[in-house]
Amino acid sequence: MKARLNLALVAGLVLLLIGLVAFKSSYFDQIAITTMIFVILSASLNLITGSAGLLSLGHAAFFGVGAYTAALLSTRFGWPFWLTLPAAGAMAALVGAVVAVPTMRLTSIYFAVATLGIGEMIYVTMLNWVGLTRGPMGVRSIPGITLFGAEGMVFSMVVTAAVMLAALWVVHRLMHSYYGNSLRALREDDACADAMGIDVGRLKLQSFGVACCLAGFAGALFAHTTGFISPESFRFGESILVLSMVVVGGLGSLYGSVIGAVILTVLPELLRDLGSWRMITVGGVLFFSILFLPRGLVGEVSAIDLIRRQIRHAPGASRAAW
Amino acid sequence: MEAPLLALREVTRRFGGLTAVDSVSAEIGRGELVGLIGPNGAGKTTLFNLISGVTPPSAGEVAFQGRVISGLRPFEVARLGVGRTFQNLRVFPNMTVFDNVSVGAIRGTGLGDALFSHGGQKARAISEVTTEMLAKVGLAGLVDELAANLSYGKRKLLEIARALAGRPKLLILDEPAAGLNDTETVELAHFIESLRAEGLTILVVEHDMGLVMRVCSRVIVLAFGRKIADADPASVQRDPAVLDAYLGAGDE
Repeated sequence: MKARLNLALVAGLVLLLIGLVAFKSSYFDQIAITTMIFVILSASLNLITGSAGLLSLGHAAFFGVGAYTAALLSTRFGWPFWLTLPAAGAMAALVGAVVAVPTMRLTSIYFAVATLGIGEMIYVTMLNWVGLTRGPMGVRSIPGITLFGAEGMVFSMVVTAAVMLAALWVVHRLMHSYYGNSLRALREDDACADAMGIDVGRLKLQSFGVACCLAGFAGALFAHTTGFISPESFRFGESILVLSMVVVGGLGSLYGSVIGAVILTVLPELLRDLGSWRMITVGGVLFFSILFLPRGLVGEVSAIDLIRRQIRHAPGASRAAW
Repeated sequence: MEAPLLALREVTRRFGGLTAVDSVSAEIGRGELVGLIGPNGAGKTTLFNLISGVTPPSAGEVAFQGRVISGLRPFEVARLGVGRTFQNLRVFPNMTVFDNVSVGAIRGTGLGDALFSHGGQKARAISEVTTEMLAKVGLAGLVDELAANLSYGKRKLLEIARALAGRPKLLILDEPAAGLNDTETVELAHFIESLRAEGLTILVVEHDMGLVMRVCSRVIVLAFGRKIADADPASVQRDPAVLDAYLGAGDE
């Protein structure tokens, strides 16, 4: 509650990323943009998993819904970026809310399994609805970010940074307010929060919708900056990567999810020489952080505790506690 | 005549073949301090859950301030003005003392407030009531402490403060004396009496008779799901049906 977003840190990060442009290398530019996109994803996932305790294993799917929405609207209908961005957020929030309604009655680990299933369903839809998504061939030649005639790599980076800062502001406000306290109450003991006058179902739906919307914005940025998307970018593995960022940075800490996203995006790139072994570093970082920093770098709850509680608080168990 | 604050009308709850609460009728008037006791398995917890909305009744109804509340969800019952504590403490361990208590006052403070009126009127009202209730239970010095680090007795007070932060009209305490020693029980009794003196209506659900006999002006006794007595503490203690229920139940 009292914690303040370390604005200096975020500003420093943005400067560093924009500073990478100095390399005049599209490789570094792309890393900078990818990092910022993952910052949005991990911050939004942290809102629901870290603060509200809803373990979502399908976050990348909503990222994908946003990416496909933006890609298809711009390639097929020629929509400009300033329209595809909000459309992507709205579509991801809508899909999130629709699929979330039946899962909202599920608690704990059952919710996690449901989100895993939903994520796979969305992936399979992207892969097989060839008429709409072009299936495994993906969507290519997605126009870059253009706004009022401005375009180019530096401009894309500035826009991405602006969207990232806006997303961080939203998550920050929601986490560090009484609204955030009600989310945390949900994480700690949802039946008790209910008895204290908190509309648990509505709160879950709302926070899930917000997180999906932000993931949708990240998707639009991804589609427009890479120019090509295919279902492979939105699979279960990506969801787990985002979850790892949240866990490494610290559940419930915004500032932690920024650091987590930076570490887990930049580290595998630095170790590119190791070839396919580099992805093991992601697993290694996750493993050692759970082992030695159970609360992540700056988290509120330990990841192991959260999982343990989710299993213990399975329905039936929570009924008996009354 | 004014409607009683809480009225149970032939409330029944069956679980399969078991009738946990059998056609119980009772009333609690404004400003009363009533005890609900009974041996283990008498249906106290079920009756509590029927009032707080956790379980709907199989038959009969519960009315609060003249309005039927059976069938409402727990959060709706809470928002109407029924505050509660839990038998086995349920504080939010990874949240600070202040944040724990604030949850009782948040209600429907929404997304829009968090985004656009940060520190606005609603937020100020929540901080005020939180600070007030923390002072009332004597935890004002521990606002930034994590609830997990509090002693058992302090966590009990924290739960009461959290319930009070919702400014309830009826406060239901579920076994408040459980796990407290004699001195702590006496302190708790004084505290409950002081809340009552401020005009709060309180229902104390207890397994043990001690606290209830000391503070309550009226005691309702349940046994095997039925109400077997409803009178002042002195008469209840002499009631043959009550003595029978407790003696028959074991070592009391």
